[in-house]
Amino acid sequence: MADVTAVPRRIGVLVALVGAISSAGPAQAAGTLAGTDISNTAVVTFDVAGTTVTQDSNTVTLTVAETLDVAVVVQSAQTAVDAGQSGAELLYTVTNTGNGSESFRLDFDNDFIADPAVDFNPVAQTPAIYFDTDGSGDFSPGDTPYSAGVNDPVLAADESVAILIVNDIPAGLNNGDIGRSALLATATTGSGAPGTAFAGQGPGGVDAVVGVSGATQSATGEYVVSEVTLTAVKSAVVADPFGGTQPVPGATITYTIVVDVVGTGTAAGASIADPIPANTTYVANSLQLNSGALTDAVDGDAGELDSSAAPTIVVRLGDVTQASGTQTIQFTVQIQ
Amino acid sequence: MKTAQTLFAIATLGFAGLAANAADAGDLEVKTVVQKEAEVVAADGSKSVELVAADAVVPGEEVIYTVTFTNVSDKATDNIVISNPIPSQLTYVYGSAFGPGTTITFSVDGGQTFGSPETLVVVDGDVERAATTEDFTNIRWEVQNPLNVGQRGFARFRARLN
Repeated sequence: MADVTAVPRRIGVLVALVGAISSAGPAQAAGTLAGTDISNTAVVTFDVAGTTVTQDSNTVTLTVAETLDVAVVVQSAQTAVDAGQSGAELLYTVTNTGNGSESFRLDFDNDFIADPAVDFNPVAQTPAIYFDTDGSGDFSPGDTPYSAGVNDPVLAADESVAILIVNDIPAGLNNGDIGRSALLATATTGSGAPGTAFAGQGPGGVDAVVGVSGATQSATGEYVVSEVTLTAVKSAVVADPFGGTQPVPGATITYTIVVDVVGTGTAAGASIADPIPANTTYVANSLQLNSGALTDAVDGDAGELDSSAAPTIVVRLGDVTQASGTQTIQFTVQIQ
Repeated sequence: MKTAQTLFAIATLGFAGLAANAADAGDLEVKTVVQKEAEVVAADGSKSVELVAADAVVPGEEVIYTVTFTNVSDKATDNIVISNPIPSQLTYVYGSAFGPGTTITFSVDGGQTFGSPETLVVVDGDVERAATTEDFTNIRWEVQNPLNVGQRGFARFRARLN
């Protein structure tokens, strides 16, 4: 059989290889894009009867199928609300973690009262699900309501969309009470056990296959009732021109307003406004916050004398919590 | 370059035309298939893993390329070398390349040079490091013995879709 002799043992030229790749997109976290064709051709060189010959194989092409996968993430673990609050939103992101364009059906679930850690079920508004159209992260007038089957979000591979669930918080809850609300997203092509295939249902007619997420996922956000109470106690000390404490003309009155924050929540943008009493005159540059002087002018500091109408002391405390401690405001007037 | 011209000429013929091209390159019939493993449940409920056509492949899944070559000429062929690029969307599965009676080497530079895996290095920026399977671009099988008339050999490797 071995009738070939004197054949050189090594061929001198290695053939350039043919590896044709079509529609190769950018690298995706979710993997090679669905619909990508990957072609492969082997090249064989050999010697026969003293001649070196190059031979291609046929070209085989495999097409990347669509993986149906989704991730839902709540953007803040806990959201502080007031009992009886209307329109308390939770922010989620829905990400297409598959490798092809896919639309997702959204739904919500507020019924977690069976969990011992949960004290109340939030009451969904109608509609309850919104796109965070303006990207603010808050429920705002420009946000588009979601309607199942009408404007299901269509996401490219790796693309995300911000979603809000808007609920009302029941009245009569206690400080620290917890309620939960979940957002559920499901691939509209199909979902189920990983590996479940939907023939021809992917982009461009490729097969769609359920990925590790089961093509459906939910994330649960939490409301915590965070009551916060601001108490302000005002006191006055009179000093008359004679070293006494009689409120006579020319005497000064130093007012002290002590503000306390009680509760688990945050008093956002708290400010104190106190009109100058009739028949008195504000003593210039007497305004203090926590023993630090504040100018009378409207400027960068936290307070001023607002003389635009009836003269009024204004001090902005900002976002204060119980941990902020007692806030003390002081100013002086003179009896006319 | 003679080899490149031959290559293009043959490529247009496709697989079906090979048998008719016996005068020159048709001395070897070369066929590539791509398959994947699938669990098959028989009528009696027993399960087995079989190779099926890789129609739908998803990221993370492995496929198996098999190149078979048959001497359909009336003469022995020698110095058979099979070269196969690893498509860029696929990563070679370590240790999976196989071919009876072949010496297998790999390339990390698109097929310019070949070597065994432990000898291959790549340069990342200014730093030279050992190559990993993700760097492999081509596989080469050198068949050690002549292939006689009517004999068949094969080369195979596994790769994972990125």
